[in-house]
Amino acid sequence: MGVIADAVADGVLPGRVWFYGNYHCNLVCAYCLTESGPRSPQRRLTAEQLVRMAEQAAALGFTELGVTGGEPFLVRDLPATLGRLASILPTVVLTNATLFGDRLLAELAPLAALPLSVQISLDAPDPDVNDELRGPENFAKVIDAVPKLVGLGFRVRIATTVPGERLDAEDHERLCTLHRSLGVPDDDHLVRPVVRRGRAEDTGGAIAFTPDDVAPELTITADGAFWSPFGPTVRDGRLATDLLVSRQTDPLERPAHLLLRLVEGRPRGDDARIGIR
Amino acid sequence: MTPRIELVGAADAPLLARPYYEGGDPGPIVGALAHVPEVLDVTLPFVGTVLGPTSIGVRTKELVILRTSALLACHFCVNTHSDVARRTGLEAAEVRALRDEVPYDTVFGDPAERALLAWVDEVATGRGPVPDPVADALAAHHPTHEIVELTVLVGATMLLNRLCSALALPVAPEALARLDEEDLRWG
Repeated sequence: MGVIADAVADGVLPGRVWFYGNYHCNLVCAYCLTESGPRSPQRRLTAEQLVRMAEQAAALGFTELGVTGGEPFLVRDLPATLGRLASILPTVVLTNATLFGDRLLAELAPLAALPLSVQISLDAPDPDVNDELRGPENFAKVIDAVPKLVGLGFRVRIATTVPGERLDAEDHERLCTLHRSLGVPDDDHLVRPVVRRGRAEDTGGAIAFTPDDVAPELTITADGAFWSPFGPTVRDGRLATDLLVSRQTDPLERPAHLLLRLVEGRPRGDDARIGIR
Repeated sequence: MTPRIELVGAADAPLLARPYYEGGDPGPIVGALAHVPEVLDVTLPFVGTVLGPTSIGVRTKELVILRTSALLACHFCVNTHSDVARRTGLEAAEVRALRDEVPYDTVFGDPAERALLAWVDEVATGRGPVPDPVADALAAHHPTHEIVELTVLVGATMLLNRLCSALALPVAPEALARLDEEDLRWG
């Protein structure tokens, strides 16, 4: 095995590599790390870039892939790309689930046999509360999409982002009742705090963090490689560089080795002290 | 002069660049290179090794650095190294001579230093091999390994000259203030 594979096997490096497939989004969420919206520069990674780096990730010894954005499904050829990625390594794609019309679902259906899971954001059990954070009709679209994806055979995860570290107990239980009713088990429900970066820099209850607080998951964007998917954030149109590892991303070996060097230079311990994943 | 790029401050310093910010403002060269951390990661150790203390003495190195910077008309490097040169023992007249404000052969009488400066002039401005008389003169005073190191020093200085000039990096105000006390500010 190579040094990256050894580091992953030993738990020194997380096994997942994240790709920011694009930065634009059809929503303008209040706490968005990347200030994404319809007018955001797309800053896409092409399908060929994604597949090439996925192959490199597998060869290096990484074990999983993640695709995020922006809203990844705004990229028209994403389903085909996801099929290629999930054929290389198990893949999770993060989405706001607002674009799952009949055509997109039909394109995704053949991928259900692959190790491809879909992580969908849902922040509250009440439509008005959720939609205030995420956008009009978001709740209804999520409630519509999740059972359809589950019905196709996809593993669906629900990610709930809340100010502060905890969701109100009653709301949490109502949200769990809801996701169970949609076919998503408790193990596939993530609750995470709003991170004080990007558009959430001024949000009450948002949590500041240091690199030691978040897992060093190699994250590839059009702007470079970062320490974590919480790294390549945007504030007032400026990309944050404090968690930048390198501008060079291809071959993936280069940022992977630099990330490992940085990881080995810090004390061992809990790699995600405030549970941001 | 306004820098042509925004310099990276401590709050935005990438992970590989952070050690350079731990002692305070690391200066504009780091602030520029920090935009590309993997380039900074190899450039600064290289520059630090070549321009920093080695087996070649500080005076010799400053002669090379300041002369090269003057030949390439680098506002940042000439001013910064005029200040460094004065603080490491070069005379004000020597600084002026290296900057061609007076002919340097009227100030530098040591044959070894005159041979060195002639070598620097050829390396920094020439287009081919250094002419034999210039090479022979340098070899009379320096062993091969020093000739190699001095040549790398000229090249590394030229790299910094073009980086600092092209990006219009600002000279430290305190350096300019010290130069002003001796009317040594350049450009």
